[in-house]
Amino acid sequence: MAKVRKPSAAESAGQFEQLVLAAILSLRDNAYGVTIHAKVEELSRPKTVALGAVYVTLDRMEDKGFVSSWLSDPTDERGGRAKRCYRLEALGERALEESAATAKRFLESIQAALGKFGRKRRWGREAV
Amino acid sequence: MGKGSGLKRAAPSRSAECIVRLLLPPVYREQVLGDLRERYESGFQYFFDALSAIPCVLSSRIRRTSDPAVLLMEALVLYLSFFATAWYAAPASFFYDDNGPVRLALPTAVALLAFVLVDAYADPAKRWPLKPVLQAALAMGFAFVSQASLFKDPELAVPFQVMLVGSAMSLLLISAIRMLFTGSSGRPMA
Repeated sequence: MAKVRKPSAAESAGQFEQLVLAAILSLRDNAYGVTIHAKVEELSRPKTVALGAVYVTLDRMEDKGFVSSWLSDPTDERGGRAKRCYRLEALGERALEESAATAKRFLESIQAALGKFGRKRRWGREAV
Repeated sequence: MGKGSGLKRAAPSRSAECIVRLLLPPVYREQVLGDLRERYESGFQYFFDALSAIPCVLSSRIRRTSDPAVLLMEALVLYLSFFATAWYAAPASFFYDDNGPVRLALPTAVALLAFVLVDAYADPAKRWPLKPVLQAALAMGFAFVSQASLFKDPELAVPFQVMLVGSAMSLLLISAIRMLFTGSSGRPMA
């Protein structure tokens, strides 16, 4: 297996990019504009997401080498037009893993700090 | 995401699709028109989806097709062409009393903006040797139109002779720059 280089600081994924990467990862072979947008909206609820923001992010991540794209066969429901499908590349997977690890450390530090100050609140539960 | 494969889906009007198609850069037409069609629920929703998508894909395309170094070269060539022409053809008062240097920046800025848009809307699949000349001519045409629109405010306009000779000089020089700096992707890059 080819060695995957570590993404540089410039290549690290921003918050919205992380959402799009996670959407592509979960959609697997069905990742294209409409489905990615729907999944990103689901992940970022209650915020709404503009369709155009997804296109811009996909282009930027393609330039960074996080994802690759190709045109599928045209379908009738799209008026005979093709879908641009996206796939996560190794660099994108690595960036997503790093983001998840950072988020985990962030969550742990918050939980530790809240515990230290004797707060009863725990993530995912109502404050007591 | 099909809703009942046997049912005829609602679709946007042909005129709405034609307008969106015209506004989208060619490389995005297939995917974005298809996505908008698939998401179609009503004319109002289609309009807002298109309104959200078009500026975003256009800005993304501009980011991908514009090279700051080439744009800077083109800006210098444009301005210096107009400046040199005005130096020889326009009276001295044009520079000293009539804000000449500032007025010369106007057609330069319009032509530069036209170059950015022409590159963004260029179809990378269509290539021919005279494309850079045609693109330069189109941008200079925009500069002329911008000057024509100033007929009510001649204090901002550049003298016709300066526009004509400066545009011809720019056309030659920018065509050469674009031919020299066109990369394998078909877009100008330093």
